[in-house]
Amino acid sequence: MNAYIFPVLNGLGLGMIYFLMAVGLSILFGLLNFVNFAHGAFFLVGAYLCYQVSVLAGSFTVAIILAPLAVALLGWALNKFLLNRVITMSHSAHILITFGIMLVLNELVITIWGPLPQSVQTPAALQGIVQFGDFVYPKYRLFVLVLSSLIALALYLLIVRTKFGALLRAASEQGETVSLLGVNVGRLYSIGFALGGWMAGLGGAMAAPLRGVDPSMGMEALAIAFAVVIVGGLGSFGGALVGGLFIGLVQSLMSMLWPEGARLMIYAAVAVLLIVRPNGLFGRA
Amino acid sequence: MKRRQVIQAIASALPIAGGIYSPGVIAQSKPKLAVRGPLSMSGPFASVGTLVHEGNVLGAEFFSRSLPVTMDYATIDDQSDPGKGVRKVVEAIEVDKVRFFSGTTNSASALAVGKEVYKAGGVYVNQAGADSVTGADCNKSTFRWPVATFGCVEQSVRPLIKMNPQAKRWYTITGQYVFGEALLANTKRVLAESGCEHVGNSYHSIAEREFSGYLASALAAKPDVLCILNFGNQTLEVIRAALSFGMSRNAIIIAPWSTGLDQFDALGADNMAGLYFGGLYWHDLKTPGNQQFLRLYAEKNKNKPPYAVASAYAAMQMIAEGIKKANSVDPAAVIKAMEGLEYEGLTGKERIRAGDHQVLRDFYLMKGKPKSAMRDAADYVDVVSSGQSFLPLEQTGCRMA
Repeated sequence: MNAYIFPVLNGLGLGMIYFLMAVGLSILFGLLNFVNFAHGAFFLVGAYLCYQVSVLAGSFTVAIILAPLAVALLGWALNKFLLNRVITMSHSAHILITFGIMLVLNELVITIWGPLPQSVQTPAALQGIVQFGDFVYPKYRLFVLVLSSLIALALYLLIVRTKFGALLRAASEQGETVSLLGVNVGRLYSIGFALGGWMAGLGGAMAAPLRGVDPSMGMEALAIAFAVVIVGGLGSFGGALVGGLFIGLVQSLMSMLWPEGARLMIYAAVAVLLIVRPNGLFGRA
Repeated sequence: MKRRQVIQAIASALPIAGGIYSPGVIAQSKPKLAVRGPLSMSGPFASVGTLVHEGNVLGAEFFSRSLPVTMDYATIDDQSDPGKGVRKVVEAIEVDKVRFFSGTTNSASALAVGKEVYKAGGVYVNQAGADSVTGADCNKSTFRWPVATFGCVEQSVRPLIKMNPQAKRWYTITGQYVFGEALLANTKRVLAESGCEHVGNSYHSIAEREFSGYLASALAAKPDVLCILNFGNQTLEVIRAALSFGMSRNAIIIAPWSTGLDQFDALGADNMAGLYFGGLYWHDLKTPGNQQFLRLYAEKNKNKPPYAVASAYAAMQMIAEGIKKANSVDPAAVIKAMEGLEYEGLTGKERIRAGDHQVLRDFYLMKGKPKSAMRDAADYVDVVSSGQSFLPLEQTGCRMA
């Protein structure tokens, strides 16, 4: 029984991290029609800020609060001073500019913290394992699973049940109309960017104790995030959740059944899904 | 500013713009010997390249003092691409007539560069890990400082078995590529010879970053030892995942191939206790060669030297010792002098085996200390075993022309 419980639970935990990584990207595309290649760099910056704050403050709790907020500020600033000027351009322009931002942020991280990986200590309260008979699972991974689920719920409620969420959704469909109603659409977009940055930064901060931090983690996160968004469908919150869980489960199960092909199967699954449903599970054309 | 000054300023900046890193000028009175390091100063391997560059510069500066020539060292950036590295090396050979090369950041690059240097009749010393460098792909020009996987496993797995005779069940997690396969083959052999049971193996791709699934298989096998057969960041991530799953409660964890200090820094002092690592260098070695190196390193650095810097310094020493013995900078004469050469290296007395150009030197098994037992920030491990193990020449596959 453990042989099945473990990979499923592990897959769900992985999937929730992937969801956190991808939902910001999906929000930006779905709500703002913006392809953000700097999303992986937000994840990277979030992880490194978590590392630095935890070293300075000696507290992971402080780090996991401050790091995503700082990345949110970064997202907001990037949109206010740069990206809002290009938001109406083609997706190619979005990709080019945000790819450049990604490179700059990557090199900044290496310049400040060096090229070698660093370790982020799991907080004492979350160290160790939970054990039920032969079944063991790390406490921190359970924490990630639970916290990610709560955040997913909160985000869903924000987008679907609040005025802000309604305005964001309306602006993505009819920006001019919303603007004519007296809403500052530019500010709305900035907040959307900040929210996307916050999600990515939080994903990075939560991943840091699991994997440490190293300069290449941003690119890898971006690849997974795009895979999740493609599976789930661009612009779909539910799609990002289902996509993340799908990829997490595929990876976890395959690492048990066919370890050497686990990583390959992620992208093979994405390819098969695209053939069957070109817009993803919940995407719109 | 006069026109000539402007032109000179631009000319001196061009090598830097072109990806060649030139350190400071050394003594002017002796003739210069061009030495180039094909390293990754950008791209995924840059973390290693910058350290190897530092070691090469340090070695060139120090060993030039006792040579009739000044080793005029510069790094060539291969941008983590063996193809680009080879092109730049060929350019250095054909245009700048360089015949001495030192260092590498990955085995694929080293093998490719070695072939070109051999064609030109030059000398190339590197720290590649692939067995074939002094095996099937050996050549007259290439020399290797690290040990092969045979020696790594013999001097890490075997001593661990002797220290823990009750630990019979071994589970391996292996990077699925040539290096990992070589480590696995040697590990299986040693386990069989020692009466231990290999209870399972999980392969993983070299791009893998998430290892929790592999650990599930390992946990299910209930091993006494978890043996991680890979190198670099992936080794760290397996260890982190293993610790998070509480594997250290019931199993010994060993990584036979590790790069030492930089990996221990990345893992963190809180995670080191009781872990075993095989290693090619540790800064605490009490050999005269290492003490000299530490003094030099301390002139410019506050921290302790990691393996990558030390190995680069060692590679430069080999070239310098060869030039000294040959009393010549003719590559053929230097190669002949290096074959069979014995000298006081970082690990003690080191000897270059003539038949395959492999340096015969110690390999170490290290055990992680509890954080409370550390004397300083870099005092992560104790060396619990050391020794030399090398395949007999006829078994290496090297047929040197």
